[in-house]
This record gives sequence, structure tokens and C-alpha cells, in this order.
Amino acid sequence: MAGLQYVLKRLALMIPTFVLVMIIIFLLVRLLPGDPAIAIAGDKASDADLAAIREKLGLNDPLLVQFWLFFTNTLQGDLGRSIMMRTSVSDVIIDRLPTTGFLALFAVSLSLLIAGPLAFVAALNRGKWPDTVIRTVFQVGLSMPVFYIGLILLTFLAAKLRWFPVGGSGDGFWGQMHYLFLPAMTVALYTSAIIMRNLRAAIIEVLDAEYVQFARAKGLPNRLILGRHVLRNALISTITLLGLSIGNLMSGTLVTETVFAVPGLGRLMLEAIFARDYPLIQGLTLTFAILVSIVFLLTDLFQSLLDPRMRLT
Amino acid sequence: MTRTLMAAVLAATTALVTPAMAQERGGTMNFARYDGSRLIDPIYADRNPDIWMVGSLFDTLLRSSDDGKSIVGGLAESFEVSEDGKTVTLMLQSGLKFADGSALEADDVLFSLDRARNGDLGPWSGMLGSVSDVTADGQAITVSLSQPDPTILSMLATFNTSIVNKEVFEAAEGATDQDKSAAIFASASAGVGSGAFYMCGFEQGAAMDFCANEHHWEMGADGKPLPYLDKIHFEIIPDDATRILKLQAGEVDAVEFVPFSRVAELDADPAINMNLYPSTRIIYSPINTRETRADGSANPLNDVRVRQAVNYATNKDALIGLVLQGAGQPMTAPLMSSSTRLASKLDLYSYDMDKAMALVKEAGIEAGTKVTLTTLAGSSDDATIFAALQQMWAPLGIELVVEQVDGATRGAKNRSGEFDIHTYGWVDDVNDPSQVTGWLGYSPVRNAVGTGWESDKFNALFEASGTEMDQAARAQQYADMQKIYADAAPLLFMYETPFAVAVSTAVEGYVQTPLGANIFSRATVSK
Repeated sequence: MAGLQYVLKRLALMIPTFVLVMIIIFLLVRLLPGDPAIAIAGDKASDADLAAIREKLGLNDPLLVQFWLFFTNTLQGDLGRSIMMRTSVSDVIIDRLPTTGFLALFAVSLSLLIAGPLAFVAALNRGKWPDTVIRTVFQVGLSMPVFYIGLILLTFLAAKLRWFPVGGSGDGFWGQMHYLFLPAMTVALYTSAIIMRNLRAAIIEVLDAEYVQFARAKGLPNRLILGRHVLRNALISTITLLGLSIGNLMSGTLVTETVFAVPGLGRLMLEAIFARDYPLIQGLTLTFAILVSIVFLLTDLFQSLLDPRMRLT
Repeated sequence: MTRTLMAAVLAATTALVTPAMAQERGGTMNFARYDGSRLIDPIYADRNPDIWMVGSLFDTLLRSSDDGKSIVGGLAESFEVSEDGKTVTLMLQSGLKFADGSALEADDVLFSLDRARNGDLGPWSGMLGSVSDVTADGQAITVSLSQPDPTILSMLATFNTSIVNKEVFEAAEGATDQDKSAAIFASASAGVGSGAFYMCGFEQGAAMDFCANEHHWEMGADGKPLPYLDKIHFEIIPDDATRILKLQAGEVDAVEFVPFSRVAELDADPAINMNLYPSTRIIYSPINTRETRADGSANPLNDVRVRQAVNYATNKDALIGLVLQGAGQPMTAPLMSSSTRLASKLDLYSYDMDKAMALVKEAGIEAGTKVTLTTLAGSSDDATIFAALQQMWAPLGIELVVEQVDGATRGAKNRSGEFDIHTYGWVDDVNDPSQVTGWLGYSPVRNAVGTGWESDKFNALFEASGTEMDQAARAQQYADMQKIYADAAPLLFMYETPFAVAVSTAVEGYVQTPLGANIFSRATVSK
């Protein structure tokens, strides 16, 4: 019951967040220099054509009127029509969401698969050569720009060795796994470096904790100590970091999806910004805000499962 | 003797069977594009990725010849302009069909041309401003003009006058013409056009498929209808490096918009043919010629001597070397590329630092005079141009500073006059110099590409050329306009670039025209 109340409270708190996001993005988009009418009709359009487009899009209405329309329509589930796509914003987002969602989940899974075992190896060999090697390699991963890592992977694994396709998103589960492996790995290499460092430090801290020493003194098997006591407690801060990383990962899709020619929400956002497609930018930002909020909620819920003290907050 | 005879027999046999045997048919060409199409409709296509595909799905009554210098028949097998220049009579080919097999008739032509010149619809209606009426009598189409129009044949060969299927269009879902157009495009079905292909697949912003139109009227070398390919699959890959890797990995057969910095590398690859197609593309920079800047400060570029000086001080060959790796040529016609009809061949501000220094001295330019170059953020070409110009103009006392913006902002600044000088480019949409001349120099259209430059004499010449049917007289008008424009230097005249398209060695017959149109009808991909 308390858990349900907690979830409801968190969901209620999301409402003002979304309203705030809507206000901010509505104003920010309109503060951008450049005219959507020019973006639509092109530089060659006459002033009369541009005026007609502005009128048709309602861009001549007072800002308050425009916002109210956006706000009320959004509440009814209508995000408007994309200027550049000439179709419903919701349809475009629904069309692209699965690809970006798959990419994000794939990247997070790879991050955990890479960071988890290596963090353990590094922590258990603190100060020894495996620890040094792992930390150095990940430091390199952290210091390289995402698009550069992507291009290196593309050049060698796709163009030279031809193990993976150069771009695209693939069809079906296995097709997507094949096509999205390199973009997911590109993101994962960066994210896993952050997670590995955090998890390693957390494991070392927990390993030194009194309750772990006590468990050892009791003669519990090492596997049980690591699994039940060390990992569970070390994961608390890492899950917070993972939640934050997913937020960053969403913004990272702008670059990754462009480099790897993945038709997802990130690439769409970039196209929408360049085209000054106000409804699409607003719809995408709201979608990203909702997704990140859901991830944060899930993060908190998962944390509360690991650490019952969290349920009181 | 026997050997000679055998050779002759062999040659004769080969000649007889070659057209049918040697012509490869079928297969799919995978083509990587830098940007996707959003609406390929003759009258609504307003971006190059849309415009350049119209010709694959639709046909026009007339066409530009392969060299772009004349107009030849298309859907119309013959055409004639009356002596007074006010009537064009065209004779439709018989037996024409749309891609769904339905007949293409005069009614479709009337519908399409009425649509094309409807000012309430697409942005191109002004190009048919002289047309007062279009009528049909059997296969004969008569286009009546309110005044003689020397551009009318070119306009009837331009994408916006392509013929659409009236019945299919009217039956499409949607309340407005544009809604119907969008619905047809989104449905990706055959029937609306008669081009060599019809759209048979579309994934917004990601991919698009064109399938062969078996009813197309144009015949291939083997005497069968074009196209040779069964299908073209387009993938949208905005990143240059990824697009090229895709070709190198053998995942696509062709990539467009190859950065010039990669041309030499791809040219050296034995598996790739690096094609540089002649284009009407010019790269130039409009100069704000107004007396004061938008912020009210004095504008040094208002002085024609300063504009001439910066033109003389710009080493175009060096720029071409730096930006295009040599794959270009300096502009010689001030208003257009040298491949456009009626282009002048002038010595257009060849690099001459002495002249440049003398001009700025005469204009009284003080050392440290700041001029802002507005460039596209993220464009390596623009960054190179800025770095080069900054050095080239420094001896003139001009301190060039950069302002980086995106395309939409640059467009808005051009319109509002809030710039000193900015990078820009142009590709003709029409096989006639009137469009680019109106854009760059005729001030009532767009303040002479935003420069604020205005010449009554130039404007009068341009207006007169709009009804001048005597070709020699029209050529003289264009020569005079180009001379006036060159002397006034409202632009920094830079260079012409080709279209760089890399294809695998398996590809033959693909062409990009000087207007940018992608021609796939004679393309083949060896299996």
C-alpha cells in the first residue's frame, strides 16, 4: 500500500514537471533565431509566400494564444502536425520510438554487461595490474568523443571486417540486434566507463564495510558474500548513476543516430531543429521528458527495493 | 581471308544481337542520399531532395537536351511557337500511360498545367505567369500566353509542369490539394505519374523505394521500355563519412554529395568510380551594400570600391584548392554558372592584390576595419573559406570576424539585411538564366539576394528580357546585365562546383544533370 502511495505521489509530481517542460520548450523554440516559414518554403520563397505560411501556421498569433493552443491540444493527446513531415507529430514519434527505445535498452544492457564484471575484477584486484589495465582502458573510452568512437567502430568492424552493417536499423529483433550493435556499443563504451568507475569504488567501499568483514568472519562462502551483500549494496549508487546515464543517453542519440544513420528520435530531433519544426521539436522534447521521468521513477523504485530506507523518503 | 570473313561475320552477328544481349536489365540499385524527400509533387517540391527526384516519377511535356543547351520533346513529340511568340502548340505522343496502366490524356495535361499555374497552390506558379489559357483538341495542346515569353519552352521542361494523373489525384483522400498530394505520396502507390519509376515504398526520413514503371514510353537500347533497373532503394544517411563507408563496405552502389576532401581518395579506389558531374551550382557570398548596417553603423561595404577590392583580394584558385581540392573553377559569369545558357565569360576579378590595395586606399579604408562573415555552423567548407579570406583580406586593413549560424538563421539574416557578408550557394531549377538572374540581381524579387543592391538599368534590362523573343537581342541584354552586375560587385564571386557522386564500378548509366536532377532511367547495376 505504502509502495503504491509512493508511486502515485511520484506520478503526481511529474505533472508540474511536464507543464514546466512545456512552457520552457515552447519559449526556447521561439527564441531560436530563424523563421520556420523560411525553413518550410526555402530561401527562394517570396515575402508574400512566407507571410501566408506564417498565417497558416498561426505564427502571427500572440504567444499566449499559441501556447494555450499547444497546451490544450497536448492535454487532449494532439501534438499537432509536423511542418516538415506534413503529418501528425504523434504518428512520427510513435513510428520512431521503438528504434530509439531498442537502441537505448541495448546500450544500457551492454553497458551493464561490460561494466559489471570488470568493476568486480578491478575492485577485487585493487591496485594490481588488472585494476590498472581496466581503469586505463576505460579512461581512454571516457576521453574520446562519442562520434569518434562510432567512426572508428564503423571503419574497422563494419567497412573493413564487414561484421556489422554500416548504418540503418534492421527489421525484427535479431535484425535490430545486428544493425544496432555498433551504435549501442558506441554509447555503451562511454556509459560503461562511468558505471565501471562508480561501481568499482562502491564495491571497494562495501568490501571494507564491517558487515562484510563480519560475513567473512562467519565463514560465509565468497560467492554469497559478493552476491548478497556486496553487489546489492554497491548497486544503490550505481543505479542512480544509471538512471542519470539514460537521461544523457537520450541526448546522446542525437549524435549516435546521425553517425550510424539510425532513423530514431535523436536524428529526428536534429532534423526538426534545423527545419524549425516547432510542433515536432515540442513533441519530441515532451516525449524525451516523459521517458526520462519514467526512467527516474523506475530508478527510484528499484532503489527502494534494494534499500528499504528509500521508501520513507 | 577466312579470318577476315569470320571476323566480319562475327562483327555482323554481334551488331545484330548486341542491343538485346548486351543490355543488362533488372536488379536493384542502392543509393545513399544525404537527405530524404518529404513530398515529391511537381508543384509542391521546394527542396532539392524533392525537386531532384520529380523527374524519376513524372514526365514533362518537353525536356532539356542532355547538354542542357536546348529543349527537346518529352511527352509531347513535337512543339511549335507561333510567330508572335504568344502561342505554343504541342502534340502529345499517342499511347502514353501512367504507371498504373491508365491512359495519359490531354485532360491530365490541362489539369496538371492548371494546377502548376494556380497561385494559391505551390510556390512555383509565377514561372508560368505569362500563361493565360491552356486548351486541348485531341492530342494537340495549346498554351496561350498573355505576352511573348522567351522562357516558356524551358518552363514546360521544368519539374513543376510535370503531368499528374487527374483521376488518381482527385480520388485521393484529403480536403485540399496539398492534403491529397501528401496522401498520394504517403501511400507510395503507382498511378500518379508516368515517369520511368513509381514510388513503391517510403519510410519517412529513413528510406524510399522506386520501382520500374513497365508502361513508361521511353525505349532503351534494347528496344524495350526504360528503365533497365527493377528497383532503386534509397537510404538516407546524413553523415558524409558514414555514407562513404557504406559504399566502401559494398552496402550501397552509389553515394551523393561526396565531400571534395574525399574525392581524391575515392578516385584512387579501384572498386569505385568517382564522378564529377558538371552543374549549375555556384558558391558566392552576398555582400550587404546598404549605406548602414542593421544596427545603424556605417557600412564600409556600401562603397563599390571596397566590394571590388575584396573580390580582387580573394584568390579563387587558392580557395578552390583548399575547399574543393581543385575540383572546381572560378566563377566567370557574374550571375550564373558558366554552364547556364547565356552565361558570359568574363575575367571576373582575377586575383590582383595591387588593384585591391589601390581600391581600398582610394576608398579610405582604415586598418582594423571590421567586417563579419556569417557562415554555416558545422560546415568545414565555410570554416576553410573564413580562414582563407581572413588572411587574404588582412593586407587590405580588413579584420574579418566570423559569425556561425545554422541555415534557417542565415536565411532570416539574408532577408532582414542583418549581415555584412555571408556564404551562400545556388543551383538552377530551370534551364534558363532568368531564374538565377532574377534571384541575384533583380531587386524587386528579393533585394538582389538580400544585398540591397539596386540598379534601375539592370532592372529595366531584366524586365525587357522577359518578353524579348529575338535570341540575339536577349543574349545582348544578358551580356549587359552581367557587365553591370560584375562592375557593381554586390557579391563576392567565388567558384563553381560539380556534383560529386561516387558509384561502385558495377554501376553504369546513372547521371546527375546540371540542374541536379537524378536520372536513373538508363542506369544499370552489373550482377
